Amino acid sequence: MKPGTRLKSAACDTEVMVIRAADGTIECGGAPMDEAKPADAAPLAADFSAGTLMGKRYVDADGRYELLCVKPGKGSLSVDGVALVVKDAKPLPASD
Amino acid sequence: MQRRKASHRRRAQQLAGLIVGTMRRGLPAPTFALKSNEASAEAEIRASRALFAEDFIAITEFSAMSGDRQTMATKVMQGVRVLEVAQFTFTPAAGAILADWGADVIKIEHPVRGDTQRGFLNMGGVQLDPLRHTLFEHPNRGKRSVGIDLSTAEGQELLYEMAKHCDVFLTNYLPQVRQKNRFDVEHIRAANPNIIYARGSAWGDKGPEREKGGFDGTAFWSRSGIADCMTPPELPGPLSQGMPAFGDSIGGMFIAGGISAALFHREKTGEAAELDVSLMSTAAWASGANIAQAVETGVITKNAMPSSGGGAKNPFMGNFWTSDNRTINLCMVSPTGLIRDTFEHVGRPEAADDPRFQDVLSLIEHSKAASDILVAAFAEKPFAYWREHLKTLKGQWAPILNLLELASDEQALANDMLIEVEGADGGEPLKLVRGPVQFNGEALETTRSPQASEHTEIVLMEMGVDWDRIEDLKSKGAIA
Repeated sequence: MKPGTRLKSAACDTEVMVIRAADGTIECGGAPMDEAKPADAAPLAADFSAGTLMGKRYVDADGRYELLCVKPGKGSLSVDGVALVVKDAKPLPASD
Repeated sequence: MQRRKASHRRRAQQLAGLIVGTMRRGLPAPTFALKSNEASAEAEIRASRALFAEDFIAITEFSAMSGDRQTMATKVMQGVRVLEVAQFTFTPAAGAILADWGADVIKIEHPVRGDTQRGFLNMGGVQLDPLRHTLFEHPNRGKRSVGIDLSTAEGQELLYEMAKHCDVFLTNYLPQVRQKNRFDVEHIRAANPNIIYARGSAWGDKGPEREKGGFDGTAFWSRSGIADCMTPPELPGPLSQGMPAFGDSIGGMFIAGGISAALFHREKTGEAAELDVSLMSTAAWASGANIAQAVETGVITKNAMPSSGGGAKNPFMGNFWTSDNRTINLCMVSPTGLIRDTFEHVGRPEAADDPRFQDVLSLIEHSKAASDILVAAFAEKPFAYWREHLKTLKGQWAPILNLLELASDEQALANDMLIEVEGADGGEPLKLVRGPVQFNGEALETTRSPQASEHTEIVLMEMGVDWDRIEDLKSKGAIA
């Protein structure tokens, strides 16, 4: 999967831009993502229905995958069935 | 070369949707001055530039057809690009004002930690949702975020390349950090001699404490005389600021004003200025009338303890308590022509015929008696009655409102004081306050603040950084 490729979810509205990827299957809502949307929507798998958030980056534990969400949806992202996690900023604690 | 061209075209097309999405969100149309370090491949770069330009022009036109708000609203800073290396509220707020005005503001954040403001989740005892982070939204709406580690040589080199495309460099990092990470004025000016270099600080860029940090609680509120003046002497100690980012937000507007003047100066003369605004200078200016008076007279005037009643010399100046323990403020500094109208409005028309109150000089002489009449009158009726009834009062007055009442205040809303941005959690929009300047009577539309490093690739590619280098920088941890 080439960096810069835009993938669409078959199960929801999610769209991502591939920043980094290896050879595994990138999925959303439990169904493989593709550059084109299938004519028939795939069912949203309950285990992958936590939703995606616009502008967030999603990564795997080994640093082999990074997806940037450019359109949010109800499905959540995975690679070969393993859920990706949000790559969040880890800001220094602060309080007033 | 052919293969490379094709790959550029493909990437441009792949990015197309993303950019259109970005522009639909109302961010300024990017200008594509593409550059690259690879001097050896100049012809190839020219060719790829042309390809990029073609695609992007097509995208821009498409976007304009979709009815972008930037074609509708006055954008006085359209075409200005600001490189912001700043944290917390004060200096980022200047970037937010410039973004409100149409500038393309690129916020550089640490690739792992982001702006420390993002970690500011406990405010006045209220826990904030990081995806609905109002304290981050307020000074960062309308910007794009790029994650660069400026402690690395690669990160610094990238910053210099970005600086070449920018009009303004905006920072509030301390001088020693600017030196250590090599983004002080001489480093940035080496990359772009025409850039305006704007610094926000706590205590100013000169003097023995220039390397000391601070916040508005210290530099604006505490050391400036403001805390001292705000506090009635009867209280056991000084009041605290009590309003998060209060001095910061005022001062941010000052920086934005300074940058606007510097941009105008550069336009007229070709000279790029450095500029400084500190939280201490912000406080001194805001208190300037009283500071000058204190220096001239040697007397420090302070707040009095709250009470219902007018001033010792002017009964029409003061807070008056209503029957339901709310407050109406009268502020008729010059009561000429207002005496009869005021007494009639508070239901004491007979006082208007009292010879003690027949003119302003005599009113001042009998201030206590007039004040007592007003105090008794206001205490007879509730707040809602007075708000309605005083609408026809000729003199100056206001109800004392809380923040939520302001947010639904008819006059505030009529002047577009609140704006909405989408919630990063996909939920209800967030309501934010617009900058204080309105151009051509137009309401402001802007976008939510960026997620940390949300726009790294798109901004770098706009500036001509190719994907191989982006991957390389990413693997080294220089960007995110």
